Amino acid sequence: MGEREIVELLLQRDETGMDQLLRHYGPLMKYVIAPILPDPRDREDCLSETALRVWERVGQFDRERGSWGAWLTAVARNTALNHARSNTRHSGMEEVDERLPSPAPTPEEEVLRQERQAAVRAALERLSGEERSLFYRKYYYRQPTSQIAAELGMTERAVEGRLYRLKQQLRKWLGGEDGV
Amino acid sequence: MYDRKWEPMREDDFDALLKDSLPDLPPEDVVADVTPWKKAMNRVLTGLGLTSITLNFLYLDYILPAIGMVLLLLGFRALRRENRWFGACFGITLLRAVYLFANLILNSTILQERVHAAPRMIVLTGINLALMFVEFFCIWGGFRAVQRKVGLPPHAGGAVALMVWYGILCLLALVGYVGLILGVVMIVVYICIICSLRKLSGELDEAGYAIRPAPVRLEDGTVALAITILLVGGCICGWLFGGSYPMEWTPVDAEEHSGAAEIKSELLELGVPDYVVNDLAAEDLAACDGALRAVVETSDEPVNNDKQKTLHITGVAVELPGEQERWMIIQHFLWEENPGFYGTESIQLWPVYQDSDGWRAGGAVTGRVLYDKNGQTYSAPYWFLGEQTFASDSIFWGQQTSTDVFAAFSMPNSGENHRGYVAYPIEATQDGYLISGWFNYTHQRVGIQYPAVSAMENRMRNSWNDAGAFFTMQYALQFFPSELEKAPVQ
Repeated sequence: MGEREIVELLLQRDETGMDQLLRHYGPLMKYVIAPILPDPRDREDCLSETALRVWERVGQFDRERGSWGAWLTAVARNTALNHARSNTRHSGMEEVDERLPSPAPTPEEEVLRQERQAAVRAALERLSGEERSLFYRKYYYRQPTSQIAAELGMTERAVEGRLYRLKQQLRKWLGGEDGV
Repeated sequence: MYDRKWEPMREDDFDALLKDSLPDLPPEDVVADVTPWKKAMNRVLTGLGLTSITLNFLYLDYILPAIGMVLLLLGFRALRRENRWFGACFGITLLRAVYLFANLILNSTILQERVHAAPRMIVLTGINLALMFVEFFCIWGGFRAVQRKVGLPPHAGGAVALMVWYGILCLLALVGYVGLILGVVMIVVYICIICSLRKLSGELDEAGYAIRPAPVRLEDGTVALAITILLVGGCICGWLFGGSYPMEWTPVDAEEHSGAAEIKSELLELGVPDYVVNDLAAEDLAACDGALRAVVETSDEPVNNDKQKTLHITGVAVELPGEQERWMIIQHFLWEENPGFYGTESIQLWPVYQDSDGWRAGGAVTGRVLYDKNGQTYSAPYWFLGEQTFASDSIFWGQQTSTDVFAAFSMPNSGENHRGYVAYPIEATQDGYLISGWFNYTHQRVGIQYPAVSAMENRMRNSWNDAGAFFTMQYALQFFPSELEKAPVQ
């Protein structure tokens, strides 16, 4: 069954669409989730949660904004990141000390953050396709170096080296000669 | 102006900034690129295509299979731990790569034709062919295993079709089919099969996310570079050390002709040039004992019409005593200028007795090659001297089998006066027949040729005088003995 038929079934709230989704796109979702959630039980939970979100939000999928694969990747990744954050909170790692000032950014900090993001995105456009893929693997897909190395036919050391040089390049572009 | 947003950041903060700055939806090219399957599978499919293509121009029949084999190796290396089928594919590809690369290096030496014709090599070729079929079978199994892993119905008809296609191709090769129609049909079917495999690979994109490529110790680029260096280095070594015959050069003893001074002076008196007489081996000189008369002809044959590089050829016929009319035919060559010796040289003789009703062979063909260096003369027997039967294709006569006398040798690039001769006795069976002995000298004029062939092999397969790395100069010693002055009665 093709992508369009599966999307159509999901939009029609047909449960066979859900089966087909897991059958055809389960491997993709697992692939995106795995590097973010190291525990296999979390991965299984997250996969179910991702499928549920797809079911709930399939109406938001807009082919003009991006492909089905990109949208599914984004849903799986965001669900996994939320799952990871939730795990961290429950383990008490992110307990907030009430004596500290609020971590919420000030309006000025928010403007700065947005300006930085825009500059980083512009810098990413200057990267070659291969460099951009490597960058996304590391910072978007959150893949470990070992996985990136195996999939690209490189050694871990070589991947680390390339990522380091990539970051240096971005620092240079973003902050001039002295770097960020 | 101070730009606060780029205040120096710590590494962690910069990493966090990079993570937060990415758009929610990844770019399409990134989504297409970030998959553990596509890269490996594309390499396998491209490799399959390239290892099967034979384009006989610009050395593509060697370059494309070599690139294809590297791609197959890298593709299966990534997939080798995915399932036992792909693991087997990797092992088989490794064996086939060793066979192919060894052959490619062997092709840079003049040994290649003899090695390829050896029975053991024919067995190896058969094993390689069998391995290829096993590999296709394993690809079929590997595809199905990946599909089963993610719960998709297993199907990989393209791989089966590839096996059948190769089977038919082998059958056509066995029966020696050279027709055009079936050839075109096979090419079209092959393209369809590769397209079908590509489609299958596309269908497997969904399942491919479940694949875990094996980690590597050497990067793909390093492996490809190492193989390239191995092949180029191997071929350079092949050209340097495997392009010529191992000649047994020894210094010529100054006293070599001490026991044949009389014969020598007889020959000189009859007009045989001293440079020919001096080069004769003691036994050849002895064979001319009692010479009655001599006929001498010379010719200067340029290489590539280059007057600076001429081969000085001297044809000598010495009549020998006896009841029956006998002659010793000596064909001598001398390079007055070093033309550059790049590998092998050869002499193809069409002896007087060949295809003649009036003459027959009076003994074996003998001879040797010589050169001077620092005032010392060195000589060596020919690497090969004798009759050779061979099949050749001629646009005029079609395929035909011939038996000619060949002398094959290599010359050192150092030294001067590179020269040699061949000699053979003939006996008359009938009076009045022409003495006509042809001397075809083939010179190798370039160092690098691929696949490497010797001058003798080139001469056997190609009758053109100006052919690729070789240039052939022809000369014939021809005369009617009956038209010569009678030899004085001794």
